[in-house]
Amino acid sequence: MTTLCLKNGQIFDPINKIFNKKKDIYIKDGKIVEKLNEKISETINCKNKIIMPGAIDLHTHIGGGKVNIARLMLQEFHNNSDRDYDLTADFIPSTLKTGLQYIKMGYTSCFEPAVLPINARQSHSEMADTPFIDKGGYALLGNDDFLLDLISRGAHQSEINDYVAFILKATQCIGIKVVNPGGINAFKFNQRALNVDENSVRYKITPRKIVRLLARAVYELGVPHPLHVHCSNLGVPGNFKSTIETIKAAEGLPVHITHIQFHSYGNNGDRNFSSASAEITDYINKIPNLTCDVGQVLFGQTATMSGDSMKQHANHSHAHPDKWLCMDIECEAGCGVVPFKYTDQSFVNALQWAIGLETFLLTEDPDKIFLTTDHPNGAPFTSYPHLIKLLMDKSFRDNLLDQLSVDISKHTILKDIKREYTLSEIATMTRSAPARILGLRNKGSLSKEADADITIYDSNIKDVEEMFASPTHVIKDGVVVVKDGEIKNYTWGKTQVVKPEYDATIEKKLKKYFDKYHTIALPNYSISNDEMSEVIGSDINEVKCNRKRIS
Amino acid sequence: MSKISDSLNLKNIVCPFCSLHCDDLEIDVHDNKLYVKSNVPKSCAFKYEKLNLPKFKDMVTTVKGKPCEPKKAYQYSRQLIKKSKETVLLNSSSDVNVTREVLSAASKVNAIVDHVNSSIFLKNISIYQRRGYMATSLTEIKNKSDVIIVFSNNLFETYPRLMEKFLATKNSFSVNSKKKEIYVIGKKVKNTKDCNIRDKRITYIDFNNRNITKLINSFISKKNESSISNKIFNKLLASIETSKYLSVLWATSEFDSYKECDEIIYNISAYVVSLNKTSRAACLSLSGNDGDVSFSQTLGWMTGFPSRIKFTGNFFEYDRDANNAIQLINSGNSDLVIHLNPISEKKLVLNKKNKNIVIGRPCTKFNIEPDVFISCGIPGIDFKGHIFRTDNVVSLPLTSLRMSHNRSTQEILREILK
Ligand SMILES: [Zn+2]
Repeated sequence: MTTLCLKNGQIFDPINKIFNKKKDIYIKDGKIVEKLNEKISETINCKNKIIMPGAIDLHTHIGGGKVNIARLMLQEFHNNSDRDYDLTADFIPSTLKTGLQYIKMGYTSCFEPAVLPINARQSHSEMADTPFIDKGGYALLGNDDFLLDLISRGAHQSEINDYVAFILKATQCIGIKVVNPGGINAFKFNQRALNVDENSVRYKITPRKIVRLLARAVYELGVPHPLHVHCSNLGVPGNFKSTIETIKAAEGLPVHITHIQFHSYGNNGDRNFSSASAEITDYINKIPNLTCDVGQVLFGQTATMSGDSMKQHANHSHAHPDKWLCMDIECEAGCGVVPFKYTDQSFVNALQWAIGLETFLLTEDPDKIFLTTDHPNGAPFTSYPHLIKLLMDKSFRDNLLDQLSVDISKHTILKDIKREYTLSEIATMTRSAPARILGLRNKGSLSKEADADITIYDSNIKDVEEMFASPTHVIKDGVVVVKDGEIKNYTWGKTQVVKPEYDATIEKKLKKYFDKYHTIALPNYSISNDEMSEVIGSDINEVKCNRKRIS
Repeated sequence: MSKISDSLNLKNIVCPFCSLHCDDLEIDVHDNKLYVKSNVPKSCAFKYEKLNLPKFKDMVTTVKGKPCEPKKAYQYSRQLIKKSKETVLLNSSSDVNVTREVLSAASKVNAIVDHVNSSIFLKNISIYQRRGYMATSLTEIKNKSDVIIVFSNNLFETYPRLMEKFLATKNSFSVNSKKKEIYVIGKKVKNTKDCNIRDKRITYIDFNNRNITKLINSFISKKNESSISNKIFNKLLASIETSKYLSVLWATSEFDSYKECDEIIYNISAYVVSLNKTSRAACLSLSGNDGDVSFSQTLGWMTGFPSRIKFTGNFFEYDRDANNAIQLINSGNSDLVIHLNPISEKKLVLNKKNKNIVIGRPCTKFNIEPDVFISCGIPGIDFKGHIFRTDNVVSLPLTSLRMSHNRSTQEILREILK
């Protein structure tokens, strides 16, 4: 095994409250160690270099059915002239390109947020073919007929907990996500909208109830990552109210609201579309146990992809180019792929851009908000360095605002916001905070025994966009994989999973349901650890759960 | 690992042979032979049991038709590959992991990768490459669909258990399964003859499917201009109009020979999309039985394209026309074709214009003698794997049922590309 010393770098390690301090880092057998007694095989001179833990993207659509539909649907965009490896578009890259582009930006762990349980094999296979990074998925629940039926029959919380735990184990996921709670299912019964306190026609359950039960299940099972919620009414003007109601539905239990920008819209003004970022961030700032990621919109062509078939179907007329696909999937959920081009000539798109930035800047605690574009829904992940510059540089952001083709200055408070994110805050929101919220104790940190996933930037580069786009070194599990923008070694990360305990009687109930109604057998639904490593091609790492017995 | 003499009873086995990939098979293994215990159509059981014949047992390698040591076959293959100026890797049935290896192999020798069914699945993909599409999947149809329309001439031959296991089912979660209405539209005689279930929920309608567009237009105008009798047409239309969740199924492979093929698929899907303005309806285009879905999905995530990739160095390009393997072969523009048919040989056709290496399931039959044949294990029989079902979203684990004398396709590919 190689040993490595990073000498004289400026360290940003928020977990240990170290910000911009000179310190040497030692690495042995893929881990950070306090010191090395043996001969050091390689020393990297880190004078004038910034050292941070590898970055973590906790919400990025990198693998699974809908991503692949988009890749095949939008082939005409696979003409990327940067012939790094292949032609695939930045917003729908191949698995190989996904890994290459993330690692070159210093990202070492990424999480696919929409794993349909029935499609988990595909999601994991795609992620297994994505080099370098550690990965993981959140299993989608809350629109599956089995659970909705269970809830409508008044099932006890403990039974729901058992089912949630079974799904986590069966799908090899690290968290649970709910998308448009109950709404995707209601769309299959021809409902076109479902508000937080509205009953679904078929099951007579409200989204509020689904969120409450699932948030509680995740909490009681001790799954580190709180319930990951894509709220009702995605993209609908005035939806900030239902977003706040969804937050309330968790009744104080931990909850993560994803791509909150798409759920922070008011309906004021002559266009009936306005920013509600002040109302939303007010809430984020005052409620403990609440985290969110933004889903920033940036201008350009992309593809929107979501499990939210209800809302994607409703929005298909905005498709650019004019084609789309929606699918009902296996009594579990659905998906919708709608290509979209955000342009600064559109009032709505320009305001979406501003709302995302307002949300970042008005949220006080960088431990509560994460840097995402909901890749590729708001923009491809390759635009993160640009987004970081927007947050760190007020004059840059004000200039761009002035240059927008459509004047939104009367509709956004962006210019009044003086805040500029510091490097320390960026390090927190992209490293320590996502690691903490995912329960990854060995990641997002430079503590001893942490995984040696490390990114080194050149502090001589004064443009932060350029600096974040081109780390001088990226180290994954102790191996230098990127040096001066070149790939030096290929590594394949692990899949991070949780496996909370549960009462196996739920499997008997599920077997009955599967035998009668499903089209595959329960044993073939579950993915074993052996299948993960031998067939799918990724080893797993189990993240600990601390079960809390409440109900 | 179990011994050859062991007797095993295996349940919930996934069948690799047709794209429904039924996973309810119970199989006994005695003396390394397979016996299907579940009550399935004879044609399905036979796909397993014929593998018990002695001729399917041993590893066979031949060079120019003559049996030889594996080493010699590998060596000769390497020579052919070295000499070749335009190598094609042509897949005619495989799972995800074989496809992954095929891509890796192609990148080593700058080859073209294609699938024998490309022209058909490219037509399916092109629907949503050009316009909107509403899709559904088999469990959804089983549990939510009150009205099902299947356009097919030989449904039961291609998908023997589609009706029994997925469409005319005893149980449905969200609809009254007894009241389901199922219309099979196509060659009536053929369908009724092959169907092994008699079910009053099914209506067979004799129709020439070349004229589907006319029928769809009649649905839209509510004026019957098709060859179907008014009585049946009106019943069908009423079913569509009152349905809460309509599913429309077809197999593009059946329409492929029609010049109207693209138009038919377009018209069905556009009609289904339009029904969703007020009600719910969705399509399922049934894929071929030759691992097409696993192939196009795997290529999709690894390259962004569904087939017809050509590697040059570390780089690849997609060209729907220039990399059309069948055309390249027929026009004599490829000098070496490596055929891969680990699961089925149905679509395997060799052309004498070029050298042929076949990595295929034991006892593969050929129209002409290949230059090299190397028998390989079958995913789902001899090796573990992972295969996509016809509805594109469900993928199932393939297990190894017996001790194999054959190596896996992946191992063989790595061996001949050393
Ligand atoms: Zn998302």
